[in-house]
Amino acid sequence: MYDAEVLARVRHLHLRARTLTDALLMGEHRSRRVGQAVEFADYQEYLPGMDLRGLDWRVWGRTDRFVIKRFETETELPCTVVLDLSGDLGTGDRASRSLPALEGSKAGFAIVLAATLLYFLHRHGEPVGLEVVAGQGIPHASLPPRGGRNHLQLLFMLLASVRPGGRAGLREALARVGSRLRRRSWVAVVSDGMEEPSEWLPALAAFAKRGADLRFFHVYDPTEWKLDFDQPALFFSPEGGEELAVDPGGAQQAFAEVVEEYVDEVRGGVVRFGGRYLPVPTHLSLDAVIRAAVLDDTRALAEAVGR
Amino acid sequence: MSLSLLSPLALALGAMVALPVLAHMARQVPRDRRAFGAMLLLQRVVKRLKRRRRIKDPLLLLLRALAVLLLALAAAGPVLSTPDGVPEFGGSGRVVVVLDRSMSMGAVSSGATLLQQARDDARALVEGLPDGVSLGLVVYDSDAMALTTELTPDRGRVAAAIEAVQPSYGTSNLRAGLLEARRLLGGEPGEVVLFSDEAGPRQIADATSELEALLELGSAVVPRTVRAEPARNVAILSARYGDGLEGGQVTVRLMNYGPDPIELPCEVTLPDGASIPIFADLPPAGPAEERITIPSEAQGGVGRVSCEDPDLPADDARFFHLPRVGASRVLVVDGDPGDTPIRSEVYFLERALAPWGGLKSGVTIDVTSPVGLLELEPETHRVVFLANVADPRPFGPRLTEFVRRGGSVVITGGDNVTAERYNAALSSVLPARIRQSRAVADRDEEGVPADLPDTSDGLFAPFRRGGRNGFPRVRTHTLLTLEPFDEGDDISVLLRWSNGMPALIERKVGSGRVLLWTSTLDLGWGNLPLQSVFMPLMQRMVGYLGGEAGSGALRVDAVVGQQVAVPLPDLAMDPRVLGPDGEAVRSRIDGQRVLFTPPAPGAYQLAIPSAPPLAWVAANPPPEESDVRAYDSVVAAERQIAPDLLTRDIDLARPAWLFGLVLVAAQALVSLRQGVPT
Repeated sequence: MYDAEVLARVRHLHLRARTLTDALLMGEHRSRRVGQAVEFADYQEYLPGMDLRGLDWRVWGRTDRFVIKRFETETELPCTVVLDLSGDLGTGDRASRSLPALEGSKAGFAIVLAATLLYFLHRHGEPVGLEVVAGQGIPHASLPPRGGRNHLQLLFMLLASVRPGGRAGLREALARVGSRLRRRSWVAVVSDGMEEPSEWLPALAAFAKRGADLRFFHVYDPTEWKLDFDQPALFFSPEGGEELAVDPGGAQQAFAEVVEEYVDEVRGGVVRFGGRYLPVPTHLSLDAVIRAAVLDDTRALAEAVGR
Repeated sequence: MSLSLLSPLALALGAMVALPVLAHMARQVPRDRRAFGAMLLLQRVVKRLKRRRRIKDPLLLLLRALAVLLLALAAAGPVLSTPDGVPEFGGSGRVVVVLDRSMSMGAVSSGATLLQQARDDARALVEGLPDGVSLGLVVYDSDAMALTTELTPDRGRVAAAIEAVQPSYGTSNLRAGLLEARRLLGGEPGEVVLFSDEAGPRQIADATSELEALLELGSAVVPRTVRAEPARNVAILSARYGDGLEGGQVTVRLMNYGPDPIELPCEVTLPDGASIPIFADLPPAGPAEERITIPSEAQGGVGRVSCEDPDLPADDARFFHLPRVGASRVLVVDGDPGDTPIRSEVYFLERALAPWGGLKSGVTIDVTSPVGLLELEPETHRVVFLANVADPRPFGPRLTEFVRRGGSVVITGGDNVTAERYNAALSSVLPARIRQSRAVADRDEEGVPADLPDTSDGLFAPFRRGGRNGFPRVRTHTLLTLEPFDEGDDISVLLRWSNGMPALIERKVGSGRVLLWTSTLDLGWGNLPLQSVFMPLMQRMVGYLGGEAGSGALRVDAVVGQQVAVPLPDLAMDPRVLGPDGEAVRSRIDGQRVLFTPPAPGAYQLAIPSAPPLAWVAANPPPEESDVRAYDSVVAAERQIAPDLLTRDIDLARPAWLFGLVLVAAQALVSLRQGVPT
């Protein structure tokens, strides 16, 4: 039921993701399973029906008690990418009312970023899932983390089909995703964050509560954030709301101040809930973004974008 | 003030004011629409900019509208005419210099009097005039005087006359000065150059009609004001002696015309040369009053109050009348010394008038026999008691003269009083002719009581507060009966006995008074000395007669430079007026008056050879000249009389162009800085 354009986009996405991932993993020893290390956690009294392989015979020998050794075992790390494809993502350079261009557009950038993350994590053997917030043209908005190539293919298909639209409702969406997370998940939120931060940032508490390892990829179009336009225009949001007539030349200075305050507010909120903030302008190389995300080198990324 | 336009049609350009208004209202609503992904941020920006726009938008509209209006106004060539022009001097060829030499011109500023400065300015003006200019010179104070009989081209002569002008004590009669100037101009236009301080509340106002006449004549009145800035002066407005049973006091009223508070050392000099230093504390532009207690004994005459004020020395002294004050002013002529105190009027009078001796009471009693009346002087004794004197004939004329000149006499009854002798000797001063003494009750009876006195005013006025009811306890069994007499302005019965007969009668004679008590002041005929009203009545009698009736000499106040008329008591006299320096002052007799004009402040006396002065004249400078503040100006008066004559045209076109262009630039700047169009 997917048309040729979608399929081409899937191939394109796959290619982009694989290229980026391969570049990232070049020279690194790959293991099929991640985290076989065993770490003692505590004892538990044996109860009938428990697996006898866990009995600590030494304790039985010394104390004549049956206790079961318990271990914290790193096995699979469920990874979820939350992709905000609200209407505002459809603006900026190379914006399109239909499927967004994968190169150069804000929505396309977000989609490729999500695809790359999913592919990379899949290559690491992690189960990956996708939550699409808003967006149009997709049958499913929520695919929980799973392994397997077919699942990845399904995710790519979803990413290739979706186009920006609608209102994100970040607060409700993040709260919903947070409530469904398994413990000790890896979560990447890819969003422009263009809703009142004081409203949606508290929803990140759900991630922190479940011990999720949160990455917030703040996607933005540098042209928009510099208000770098020549002529006065009636500015409007695809998500609706008031239209504003603005002469960009006279408002740039104030706009820069507002952007600065806004970024500080979002960064502060994310960090407060244990996450890592990654500013992602659309002109930035995805390679650098993925590297920073995987290597936890957010500082290098911040220096790269000047924030 | 009026605004006129050289090209009123250019104001139509003002309609252009609509353009920026329309432009402002229809300001660019952009046609392009742009989808924008950061509207959240843009909304914040707009909110922030709107706060600024709330100020900038109306400002922009105002700037644009003002700019167009100003440019239109500038094109119309506005000219503002204000009535603040000043008359300019020069060009007429006929000049009258009018110089104020009134007392206020004696004020000192920058080390020189205003008159000196005015003289210098006037002389410089005269000497700087070109040849051929006809000149006149008028000086004025209370009156005006032309120092040139007609206009003359002799500048040297006029300059010399200016140099010779001396200050006077006169008032500022500007009207007279301008009238004299107009007379010199002879009905032809010319220029009147006025050198004055323009001081005083009335000087300009009183001269308005004459100013109007000069302006109607086509003449220009050019004021050259000389003034101390700020005007300062302390003046003694008045000094007045207030009598009392004790020494009394001089009340000095001072006025500070300057803007700052000031403390001044002053001095009161009494006629006998004694001086009393005081210190006056004056508020800014306000009055002060100082009261100086006069010693219990002081010689009568003219005293002087002076203050050390450097600003206008002419009014720093004021002369005031001081009657004879203090002890020894009561002379009791004891006609019947008596063998016991209760039969001695002197005994009772001494205890009533000087119960603690003369020093404390301010009244001491000189007691004399009738022979002592040969030396009678109102400046020495102000009240004489004739107590049961048997024969007043030897000193009758002298006593009569004493009363005419202001002395007062109290005549009391007694066994020695004989009607014929009294009627013969004192007929011209007795309140009523005495008929005889008559017993109205037996000696062992209580006698006839006195009535309640009228306390509405006069002698008995102090008893209104108390003591009036004590009079009916005063009784007499013998009294002097009188021949019928008519009461009138000069003769009045002050107290009666209950049987209707007069008890106390007063007669005013000249400047003095005579009281006749028809009983005795001892216990011979009645019980008065033993009654509670005796002491206050005697005290009051002395105060009433001695203080309020005045003393020997006539006392007249005069203003320097103004003629004063002094009434003569007797046409047979040939008095002379002596000035403060003792030199005779020119005077003339006009009927029963002596007329003279005091040339300077001081004490003048109307004197006859080998006799006390007939009158004292205290001459002081005119108080209105002490007010050196300027209330009005000649220029302001001229503007009021002829508003069109003194205007100043101000070309407003250039500043309007300039300001309009500045506003154009300002609105452009504000517009450029505007980020949010709507």
